[in-house]
Amino acid sequence: MYPRPIPEDAKIQRALYVGGVTLVVALWLLPLLAVMLTSIRSNEELMAGNYWGWPQKFSLIENYTAVFEQTAMLRFFLNSLLITIPSVIGVLILSTLTGFVLSRYPFRGSNLIFALFVGGNFLPAQVMMIPVRDLMVRLGLYDTIYALIVFHIAFQTGFATLFMRNFIAALPGELFQAARAEGASPAQILRHVVVPLVRPALAALAILTFTFIWNDYFWAIVLTQSDAVKPVTAGLNNLRGEWTSAWNIVSAATIFVALPPVVMFFLMQKHFISGLTMGAVKG
Amino acid sequence: MSSVELRKVDKHYAGYHALKAIDLTIEKGEFVVMVGPSGCGKSTLLKTIAGLETINSGQVVINGRDVTKEEPGDRGIAMVFQSYALYPHMTVAENMGFGLRMANRPKAEIDAAVKRAAQILRLEEQLDKRPKQLSGGQRQRVAIGRAITRSPEVFLFDEPLSNLDAALRTQMRVELSGLHAQLGSTMVYVTHDQIEAMTMADRIVVLNKGRVEQVGSPLELYANPANIFVAGFLGAPRMNFIEAQIETVNAAGVTLTATGIPALAFGGIDAGGVSPGDAVTVGIRPEHLRVLERANPGQASFPGQVRLVEHLGRETVLYLDASPLQATNSDSGTGNFTVQLNKVSPINIGAQLTAGFETADAYLFGPDGRTLTPRKPVPAT
Repeated sequence: MYPRPIPEDAKIQRALYVGGVTLVVALWLLPLLAVMLTSIRSNEELMAGNYWGWPQKFSLIENYTAVFEQTAMLRFFLNSLLITIPSVIGVLILSTLTGFVLSRYPFRGSNLIFALFVGGNFLPAQVMMIPVRDLMVRLGLYDTIYALIVFHIAFQTGFATLFMRNFIAALPGELFQAARAEGASPAQILRHVVVPLVRPALAALAILTFTFIWNDYFWAIVLTQSDAVKPVTAGLNNLRGEWTSAWNIVSAATIFVALPPVVMFFLMQKHFISGLTMGAVKG
Repeated sequence: MSSVELRKVDKHYAGYHALKAIDLTIEKGEFVVMVGPSGCGKSTLLKTIAGLETINSGQVVINGRDVTKEEPGDRGIAMVFQSYALYPHMTVAENMGFGLRMANRPKAEIDAAVKRAAQILRLEEQLDKRPKQLSGGQRQRVAIGRAITRSPEVFLFDEPLSNLDAALRTQMRVELSGLHAQLGSTMVYVTHDQIEAMTMADRIVVLNKGRVEQVGSPLELYANPANIFVAGFLGAPRMNFIEAQIETVNAAGVTLTATGIPALAFGGIDAGGVSPGDAVTVGIRPEHLRVLERANPGQASFPGQVRLVEHLGRETVLYLDASPLQATNSDSGTGNFTVQLNKVSPINIGAQLTAGFETADAYLFGPDGRTLTPRKPVPAT
């Protein structure tokens, strides 16, 4: 039923297992490897059909400089940052507030509200495409970065609320009672007790929503049109149109675009402190 | 002036009557311990005083002020929890100063209060540590320190020692009693441990099923339980109970019969309370049962076989099978009688012996559980 460790002395099974895992990992990483390799090849080489072989000439610097000199990627990159960072901050703030209230201050109908937050996640995004576009047009936000910020905050807060509510609900209840008994107001409890203790959750959530929003392509093309507001995902598509044959440049741009979520992960890593609540209650 | 007063406090959880019209007055500076079995409502009652639980009807008065509708922080109470409930991300000093910090008190005042509490609780060396670096006993001291810094009118303790090991529990018990003497504050303490109740309390409140069964000093409750519940709850090993029937009732008292023991006569019983044929219960504390050389006519006694002997060094506890006479509702879950001898005894398992007691030491409980025997003298302290 459950996977069991393969015994040390079963040499053949172990070899098969290690071989199998390696194969799966290799297959999984193959597209990424292809993009990485392509991003350092010259265009001539690609035209000649050398897709998988060792590059004859390394064009790393040329390709990556070309991304910034010959395309509008820097603009798109800035747009993405302008969209993603406020959205992530908005989601974190709102979901901490909703999670705190829904987990600690139940009121009539609070479960229904929570169910709505959770249920919204199951709605396919495509269903909302036309209404949301319409809404943004009427609000005068269509084709501005605010359209994407507003939408992403609204859409991601559903999942984030589920995440934060469950995390805050898992904190020892006596901590909240103790704080209340000491005269702390709900706002003070949130600031001095909850936020410091949910830091690991906030870090994880920041990475998740950052990656979701940064990688979003669908809403980027639904809600924006002009290059001045397009984020990188939609911008990459532009690149394909202009430089049909320059796959090496597109690949270099892709790698560049994929970097921020990785950087984000390393930035947030130090907040993943296990056992932060240790010592709060017995044990 | 009374420090805490509960007037007809009633609380329902969804479909469950947790507190039933509780009336209780706690005097200033008193150390009151609330005891009772699991689910009796003792913790709920404490949280009601704290304001962490709302009540359906009744009043909570602290220091003459009706605080029924007030927030916990405005009631002049401080609470210590079973799980300590320390803030793990704060140092010991920050934990102890939390309440004052939330009230925006000046830093000098907070520092002074923390220093004073740390001195009282011998935590000066630990002030910069985090809770996880402390031992269980130190953590509980920090939790108490956090209560002290706010100089509350009333301290509330919710089973504060039950997470500690036996040795530490004894030490903390002594420290808490010392703290009470030093601060002179009103303290309300909830526990299921009757040793804590007997040793620390000025008065004990025995709770059962959301009702106050009896309130009184530890020795008063031990000597004069108001009913069979209190009699069975206080005292370890537990009181032995025998089910019996009233045979005759007259001005001098009652006689009763039970299977396996000669008729017993109890004097001084209010004859109005019972009539012949009523099912009553006789209670005898284990220390009042004696091992007799031989059965004396005229003394209540019964033969039995020793099933188990516990040598506790200072005392010996025998479990005596006296079939057909059965002890009901016993600690061991059997029909065996518990006999406590205040010395090391050479009696072995399997020994046949006769146990006896004075009816003057025994209790008689009516069909409704109320104590029928007259008051017994309470040893002076």
